[in-house]
Order: sequence, then structure tokens, then C-alpha cells
Amino acid sequence: MRRIVIGEGSCGIAAGAAKVQSALEPLLKEAGIPVGITGCIGMCYLEPIVDIYEDKTLVRRLVRVSEADAPAIAAALAGEDLSALDALTIQPDDEAFLKKQTRIALRNCGIVDPTDVIDYEARGGYEGLKKVLSGMSQEEVIDVIKVSGLAGRGGAGFPTWFKWDAARKSQSKNGSKYLICNADEGDPGAFMDRAVIESDPHNLIEGMMIGAYAIGATEAVVYVRAEYPLAIVRLENAIEQARAAGYLGRNICGSDFSCDMRIKAGAGAFVCGEETALIESLEGHRGMPRLKPPFPAQAGYWQEPSNINNVETYANVPWILTHGGETYAQMGTETSKGTKVFALTGKVVRGGLVEVPMGMTLRDVIFGIGGGIRDGRKCKAVQMGGPSGGCIPYEMFDTVIDYKALAATGAIMGSGGMVVMDETTCMVGMAKFFLDFTTKESCGKCVHCRIGTKRLYEILTRITEGNGREGDIELLEELCVAVKDGALCGLGQTAPNPVLTTLRYFRDEYVAHIEKKKCPSLECAALLRYEIHADKCIGCTMCARNCPAKAIDGTVKKPHVIRQADCIRCGQCLASCRFGAITVE
Amino acid sequence: MSEIRITIDGRECIGQSGETVLTIAKRNGIDIPTLCFDERVKIYGACGVCLVEGEGMPKLMRSCATEARDGAVYHTDTERVKRARRIAFELLMSDHEGDCLGPCKLNCPAGTDCQAYLKQIAQGNDTEAVKIIKDHLPLPASIGRVCPHPCEKACRRQYVDEPISIAFLKYFAADNDLFSGNKFMPEIAPETGKKIGIIGGGPGGLTAAYFLRKKGHEVTVYDQMPYFGGMLRYGIPEYRLPKDGILQKEIDSIAEMGVKFVPNYKIGRDESLEDFRARHDATVVAIGAWTSSAMRCPGEDLKGVFGGIHFLREVIEGGRPAIGKRVAIVGGGNTAMDACRTAVRLGAEKVYVIYRRTEAEMPAEKIEIAEAREEGVEFKFLCNPAQIVGENGRVKEVKLQIMQLGEPDASGRRSPVPVEGAFETLQVDSVIAAIGQYVDAAGFEAIEKNRRGVIAADEHTFRTNLPDVFAVGDATNKGADIAIAAIGEAGKAADVIDSFLRGAEVPYVKPFVSERKPEDIDFTVWESYPRAQMPARPGEERRCDFAEVNKGFDEETARREAARCLECGCHDYKDCLLIRYAQREQVLDVKRLAGEKHPNYTEERLVVIERNQGKCVTCNLCVRVCDEEVGIGLLGLVGRGFTTVIKPEFNTPGATDVCRTCLKCAQACPTGALRILFDQNGVRIPVSAKKRA
Repeated sequence: MRRIVIGEGSCGIAAGAAKVQSALEPLLKEAGIPVGITGCIGMCYLEPIVDIYEDKTLVRRLVRVSEADAPAIAAALAGEDLSALDALTIQPDDEAFLKKQTRIALRNCGIVDPTDVIDYEARGGYEGLKKVLSGMSQEEVIDVIKVSGLAGRGGAGFPTWFKWDAARKSQSKNGSKYLICNADEGDPGAFMDRAVIESDPHNLIEGMMIGAYAIGATEAVVYVRAEYPLAIVRLENAIEQARAAGYLGRNICGSDFSCDMRIKAGAGAFVCGEETALIESLEGHRGMPRLKPPFPAQAGYWQEPSNINNVETYANVPWILTHGGETYAQMGTETSKGTKVFALTGKVVRGGLVEVPMGMTLRDVIFGIGGGIRDGRKCKAVQMGGPSGGCIPYEMFDTVIDYKALAATGAIMGSGGMVVMDETTCMVGMAKFFLDFTTKESCGKCVHCRIGTKRLYEILTRITEGNGREGDIELLEELCVAVKDGALCGLGQTAPNPVLTTLRYFRDEYVAHIEKKKCPSLECAALLRYEIHADKCIGCTMCARNCPAKAIDGTVKKPHVIRQADCIRCGQCLASCRFGAITVE
Repeated sequence: MSEIRITIDGRECIGQSGETVLTIAKRNGIDIPTLCFDERVKIYGACGVCLVEGEGMPKLMRSCATEARDGAVYHTDTERVKRARRIAFELLMSDHEGDCLGPCKLNCPAGTDCQAYLKQIAQGNDTEAVKIIKDHLPLPASIGRVCPHPCEKACRRQYVDEPISIAFLKYFAADNDLFSGNKFMPEIAPETGKKIGIIGGGPGGLTAAYFLRKKGHEVTVYDQMPYFGGMLRYGIPEYRLPKDGILQKEIDSIAEMGVKFVPNYKIGRDESLEDFRARHDATVVAIGAWTSSAMRCPGEDLKGVFGGIHFLREVIEGGRPAIGKRVAIVGGGNTAMDACRTAVRLGAEKVYVIYRRTEAEMPAEKIEIAEAREEGVEFKFLCNPAQIVGENGRVKEVKLQIMQLGEPDASGRRSPVPVEGAFETLQVDSVIAAIGQYVDAAGFEAIEKNRRGVIAADEHTFRTNLPDVFAVGDATNKGADIAIAAIGEAGKAADVIDSFLRGAEVPYVKPFVSERKPEDIDFTVWESYPRAQMPARPGEERRCDFAEVNKGFDEETARREAARCLECGCHDYKDCLLIRYAQREQVLDVKRLAGEKHPNYTEERLVVIERNQGKCVTCNLCVRVCDEEVGIGLLGLVGRGFTTVIKPEFNTPGATDVCRTCLKCAQACPTGALRILFDQNGVRIPVSAKKRA
């Protein structure tokens, strides 16, 4: 039977998927073709995406569909021949985007209906949990995870089994133990966790329940940032369904194991992604990190043993339990096993969500899957790990995806943000962007982060505004080391990374800003100078008319001149000149 | 709990299992800085200044939060720890908008605590004021009369209306104390048996004697003159500073402390420096600068040409130098003013002051210039002696080169340039050159001099090239300066010498303090109230005698004038942990980290407590004490990152209405951010100056 499925993650909806659905539904109803939804397949740049299935087989994927396409689609679906839809159909190049991936955490994303537990079960869902509860001991479960080599996907890469085992062994004071899911995904440009919850919430629930059993948790909590409303709605719905189906609550799957789950919406503080700050927030306090030790496994939520992993970590667990730890461990490198999901963004041709096996090179991800740089520009670097991470220059793109290998570059694996930059990105400006973020998102508790990141930001600001001083580079380095050494939590300790890695690989850009007062990437407006070359200017007056600051003088058919004092360096003149008479440097 | 042994900085320390490194260190007398730790509340770990290094541990650790491990080795003084700590303090200070000390105190070369003694004067406690003054300055009645008062130049009250009359208030209080019949006398420390010889009984020598005697040393002051006081006695006219009535009385007080005085004693003549040193454990050279500088123009050797300070000395010693009826004084400083006004009093009919720049550039005090004018002195600006013309070996006239102002010189003043061919001639009987003075160091050949022939003394130890010989005042380094500068050096040198004699010399290092800029302060909140004018005898009357010109403040005027003080310095300076540790960790400069600061504004939030955001270090102790110790939790953090501030919980102003005024928050505050506004009896602690309604 023929049916269609529309990708309705937040990205699809933002691109217009819901409108496409409303347009298609009445047309297809007559034809008796059901319309379903699914989550995000990861090809954000192609949304809205409409998949045409014959029974369980995907026969055609339509991309960048708009409501206007609805009648044509309906007409084609009514007949046998779908070739009328060729123009809307995904191109082979774009299909490579999916083919080069290995999808485990994302295995159901863009395929299952996230609102339907039966659809999840039909794809083998909850088999892992059933297997665990039908006779495996806690130690056996943890052993499978240990064999798999799964490490925390939130960024730090700490072995998951070790945390689980610590929480399992830890004595509770009043009989409670907690399993917490960190879904406070805050890195700018990262959206892996949102996609998993929106697209495959039961996978998360199943992973968490396996973990809950392994540590002996009495309650599970998902801490989701409030900026993810669709994720919260879908997860709430999934929790209800799972409870009704016996996967949550008392005597799960008929076993002795009981554990329920609830959602806590965070108020949107980046620092609450730090596990101890998250616990503080869960308890109703201001989200500020606690001192470690004690670690959450010893004294976490309400001072009871608690385990915290992020969404992607839990999303791997059901697959590992059904396929075995060894199978998972076959993927990856010596030190990093399995797969990692990345949010590929920036100046790349094909941006979106990708899941690749550890050990793949950055080049394969960015050029092989991402299709390289847009508009034929030169690639400069990739920023990994968001505000806590660093940048890796193009020359080092043979580096493989591996916790150790990435850390050696000064960047980190991070939670999966992968922002690709081309020659037009100023690296000082990039560092400033992230420091602006950490300065604002610092909780304000410790001196090094509260004042140190602020001072770093101020120094970067003056450099990008042409007021950099001799000695600023050394001062930045000294401050960076001090903040790394002195900050209380991961946020502060890693905040200098964007500065340190850009200083390491792009020091010449800093020097150019400070000494020559020039921005080599032509991005720092304060350092730019637009000029009209009299020999090429024919006096068409276009630039003067387009100048919002009225900073261009000249009469018709005479060369024009920019009054530098009034120029706001917006670039409108350059964009409007058809004679190549205007340059910027 | 079981006993554990750890090593901190090479010392074995015993503690209990479960105790932190900080707790064990404190108990063993190792002072690790911390601002956010308080035993009453839970460990917090915010300030980051208690970082220590543990052997085998890659990261620095917060000692307040690190449970000591049996057998572990910790270091609190490695280069890495010190660097991390210093930058933490630099960061804190870079966001600290407050004045540790008043600008008056900071600008006083002797560091006299003007704010503190003005408060005492305002409240009528003159002897208490003198006690505070004498912590830095043992001659307040004399110095109060003659000091060009750098304190007043810095006084912030000038931005409201006019600076406070600090110097005259000092002399008001000092006179009251001196003649009270129960004058302040300092406590003398137990005798040390160390002998100190001081050569020179001027302000520097007397100050060194005062402080070294106070510390229990046996001190003798020698002077080549028959009386003590140095330039205060022999360089300043009687009408400004009565010698027997005031100066000698203050010297007598020093003698009463047990300092011995030997007059008419000259090194090189009566004893060699070598022999002198042999008799003393330490020697202080404070011989001043007693020779007038020459004008370097033809005719200087004529009869009727005098050196400024020689002229003044001769008059003070009772002489009547033959200056005739028409006198020209050359120079624009205070010595020139003293000389011209003395010439008036000697009966000269026409007295000129010749100065090569204009009145605006004159280094003399404005009041001195004004008073000289009142006494009939005529000022001739923009001219300089080119030649002194004589007749029969006596001065007949002085030929003046007319000048104009050119480019600013090194001192920032525009330098005078001769106008070619322009001259003026004055008929005069005498010329007094008051253009400078230099050191006569005969007898001190063994001591190294600098390029300018002045004794070279180390600026941190005041030591000369001879290990037991220290030198201060006009005879050293930059040469002649004002009396309070010599007093400042002598006071600091006394501390160094004392520590040297006790076997562990501590050099003087200017302490780091937090300072605000006047442009960052809103002065419009203060009510204007003009500066008190010192009552003086009329010019016509005073020009005929050498009696004191100033009459002194009456009591009401003085109390009201003292109450004009804005109290710029922080109330908590002595107890502030932030500045204490910042100074200890040798924070010297925070300019390199300068950036946005939290503004200095005060709010009376907690009923009886005033809170100043500019001084808050966000240690959160007030919040935590109120919550955990008191159990009511009225305060909370608001905002994020750099904008995080402490406010009533959830930023609800009414949250603090139920404050029990237990004051525990203010007591826990490590800085001066919280200030208690009422005393134990519930009486509001008065602030001297009045704010606008």
C-alpha cells in the first residue's frame, strides 16, 4: 500500500512541513493515501522532506517541498508513474549524505513515527529493555556497556559503564537512586539531542530504563531545556504511552523492577548542562555548579546516588543491548568506540545531522558527507565542541574522530557541534563570539569565570575594533591559563579553548589585527576601508544612492569618493558597484 | 575520624580524616588566603584564591574543598600557585570600584591619616586626633602651620566646593593637645639596647628619632646648630612658625620620650663619620640642604647679594643683614616668599620678587603670594637677572632680561625664553637669590653621592653604600623637598632600621590599594559648604613685626570645617581580607586587566546595613550566612555571568523587610561591601558631611 510520511522535526516544521501536510492531507484523503509524520532525517538543508513508501519500502524521497507542490504530488500519487515528481526528488549527490553514515543513535530518526509507540516496537523497539529484564543482572548489563566501550557523548567522554557501576555500588541514604538525562543541549549550533527526542523519544526512554535498571534507580528525570517545546510534547506523549504499555512505572515488563520517569523543563541557562549545576537546578536552586567531589554517583540529586548521561549516550544503549557490546565496539578506533552524532553547520554545502563511526577523518565528514565549502570558497577550519571546544585548521583535516586525537589538537569531541568556516571567517571574531557566549552564560559564581572570561572578551573586542595593544596576545595567553586553572567547573575551565586554539593555529590573524590594524578575513568592520578607484568609476551614482550613511560624494559621470569619516563600512557600495571600481581591505 | 599526617610547604601537619587542606593549614599557622570560606556555612569554592598544588596532582586544587589525604604533600607557595593566586586577586581588583584610603592620605608623603583625624576633630576629640596624626607625623603643630599640604591638593571636597583646610585643622588640634596640660605621649616599647645616632635635627632627623625611640631604641640626635628643628627653625620665618612657642615645644615632647639631643656637633669637625658609626648600631644621616644655589650671573660677588636661606637663617639667629631700602628677591618658590616677607619686616621700603615665568607657574603657595602682596611686595614676572651692577663694591642696580614663555619643559611648565635685546633695570640696594639649595656633605665623603652630588639612598631601604648608615630628607636622592617629604622618608626608614636591628630587614614597598577616579564619582549628592578661611592679622599690622600672622581657627569653625570631610576611604580597610591578601600576594598593577567594573553605589537594603556594589566580590557569604546560619534566606544572586549581583531573594525588594538585623551578613563580609549603619545602642553612626536633601 502506498503512503506518505512527512519529516516533522522542528527543522522540518520551520521549513514549512506542517503547511505541506495541511495542503496534502485533503487531497490525498480522497485517494485513500494515508499521511504520516516522522522526525528528522538529518538533511536540514533539504527540508521539508516528503517520503513516499510502498508498504515498508521507501520508493521516493521528495525534498524542498512547498505547499504549492501539493496538487502535483497528489496527482502523481494517484497514478502509477511517479516520474512527474523527478524535479522534486532527491539527487544522488544528496543521497550520499545518508549513505556514508552509520546510524545507531539516530537509527529510527526520520523513519519511525515519534508519536507512536507501536511504530517504535515494530522496528524492534523495547527489545533491549525486555532482554535486560528477562534475567540479566545489573552487573551483566553494565558489563555489556563496558564491553561496548560507550563513553559519555555530552563531551567529556567519560566511560559510561564506570559511572553506572559507581552509582550502582553507591549506598543510598533513604532508598532512592536517580537516573537523570541531561537534555539541556546548550552549545550554539548543536541540536543532536533535540532531534533524538523529537524523532525517536521511545529510544531515549528505553535507553534510560536500561540504565535505571543497571544502577537500581527509583526515578528517572529528563532535564530538557524549555526552548525545546516540541521535544517536551513528544517526550511527554511517549512517556504516557510507555507507561500504558508497561515500560515505565511499577513492575516493568512484568519484572520486579519499578521506575517511573518525569520531565523537568530547564529555564535556559547554559551552565545547567554542567551536571552538578543541573542537579542544583533540579532541586529548585539557582543553577550553579557544586564542588566535586562528591561526584553525583555518590551524592547527587537530593544528595542521593545519581547517574547523569546525555541524550545521545542513552540513545545508543538499546542498540548495544540488542546487538551486543562487541558489535558496537567493532566500530571506531582503539580508544573511541561506536559512533558519534554531529551537527554539521556553517559554510558547508550540506548541513545537518550526521552520525559517523569513530575513526572517520574530519575531511570525510566535512567534504565526503557535507560536500565541502559553499560558493567555491576555501575552507579555513572547523570549530568543534562549541564554546568549550576549539578550532582545527584545514591543514589538519586528516585528524580522525577520536576523543584523544581531537583533544591533541586543542579542540574537543564535545557534544557534537561542528561549525565549518571558510576564508571569510575571522578567527579573532570567532573566538570573540564564543567568549561573548560564555561571559553571558557563566553562572557568576567563581572569580576566574565571572571576571576572567569578561576580561578575555574585552581584550578580544578591542583587538577586533582596531584597539589591540602590544602585549595583548601574551595577556590573552596568561589569562587563558589562569582561567583554565582556576575556574570551578567545566564551563569556565574550557571557556578559553576557542581563544587558545585560534592563537595556536591563527596567530598571524591576531598579529594582523593588533599590529597592522587589518582583518585578513575582511570581517571586522572597524578595520575595513572601502575605496572607489577613480580610474574604474564611471560616475553611475549607484553606490552613493545605496549608501545608508550618505558617505559617498560625487556627481554623475564623475568619479565618486567615500568620506571615510562617515563610512559605516556596511559594504553596500561594494555590493552595488557593477564596474569593479570599489575595493575593500 | 582518624588522625592523618600531611605535609604542607615542607611542614608536617596533623589533622583528622575528612578535614580539608585549608582547615589543617590554618590550624598549623599557614595562612592560605580565602574570601568565601566560613566555618559556619557549607563549602562553596567561589573565590578561587585558596588554590594549592598537590604532589602528583595535575590540577591546582581549592584547598577549602579538598579533603586532605593521609600522607599527601601539598604546596601553597610554588610559582604556579602564586601566579594563579595573584591573577585571581588581579581579576578581583579589576572589578573593584572603591577607595581603600582617602586621596588625602595617599597624597601625603608621610601617609598621615587625614580622614581619621578629621573625624576626631569633628567630634571634638583633639588628643585622639593627635594620636592618629603622630602615627605618621610627630610635629603636627609645626607642620600644620607650614606644610604646603599635598593632602588638600588631592582632597575630593574640591569637586563639591573647595578642599578641606586639613593642614590648619591639624595645627588646631595639635595646639589644643600641646597646651592641654595632658598632651598625648606615645607608648615606648621595651628597651632594645640598640644605639642609634641621628645626624641632623631637622624634620627628618626628629621624625626618625621619634619613631625609633618609640620602638625602644636608644636614640641621640646631633646637630651642627645650637638649636634643633633644622630648616623648620632656621629656614622658616618666625611669623609663620613661632620657634619657642610651638616648634621647641614639640621637640621637647620628643626629648620627654627619652631622646637625647647634642647641639653644636659637626661630623668631620668634632668626630669622624667612622668613629660616629663605631659608637652606634645604626646611623641616620639627615643633614638637609643648607647651601643656597648661585644665580650664575655677573656681579654675584658684590656686597648686598645674599643667598635666600642664608638670609633667612641670619635673621632668625637675630641678625639684621644690611639689605637697604630697596630689595630684589629672585625666585618663585616658598623660600622667595619667606625672604620677601622677611625683607618687608626688616624695614625695606620697596621689595620686588623677580620671577622668570608668570604667576601661574609659581611653585609658591597661593596664600603666601597673596599675603606677600597684602604686605606690599611687588611681583615682576617674565624677567631674570642678567647682571647685578655694582658701585664701590656694593649692589646698585639689577639688569633684568625680559622673558617670554616657550614650550613646556620636563616639569610640564612652559619654559622661559629670553626676548632678544629686551632689558629692564631696577634700582636696588640688595639682591636675595632664593632659587634653590644644595647639600653640603663635607665630612660624609665615605658616603656615595649621585650625579648631582646628593647622597644616594636606596628607595626601599634608605640605606647608603654603608650597611649601617641610612639617609633621608633633603640631603638624599632628589634633593631639597618639603618638610613632610623628609618626615615621610624618616618614618618609613625607621621601620626598616627597626627591622634591620632586629635581624630581619623588611624593605619599604608602597602598598597596593584600590583607588577611584574623581570623574567616576557623583559629587552632586553633597551639600555645598564653603571652606573656612584662616583669620589673619591685617597686612599693615603684621608687616611691622615677626609675630605669627595666623590667628588660628576658633573651635566652632574648626569642628564644622572638619565635618566637611566626605570620608572617601573605606571604613573596612583595616579588616578587609581582599586588600590584605592582594597586598600580600604582591598585586601591584591591575591596569593591564582594566575593563568594565561594577559601579560604586550604595543602597540601604537590609534595614541597618548599607551595601556597596562596587566593593562586592560576590563571595555570596552574606547570602549563605542568612540562609544557612540564620535560617531566613533573604538574599539571593540575580543575573548571570559578569552581571551577577547580590539582591534580595528573587530580586523582590520586599524580601528583606523581615530582616532581623542580626548583622551576621555584614560581619561575614570579607570586604567593605556591607557596612553597619548603627552602633550597638541602635544609634546611627554619623557621617560628617551632609548630603543634599
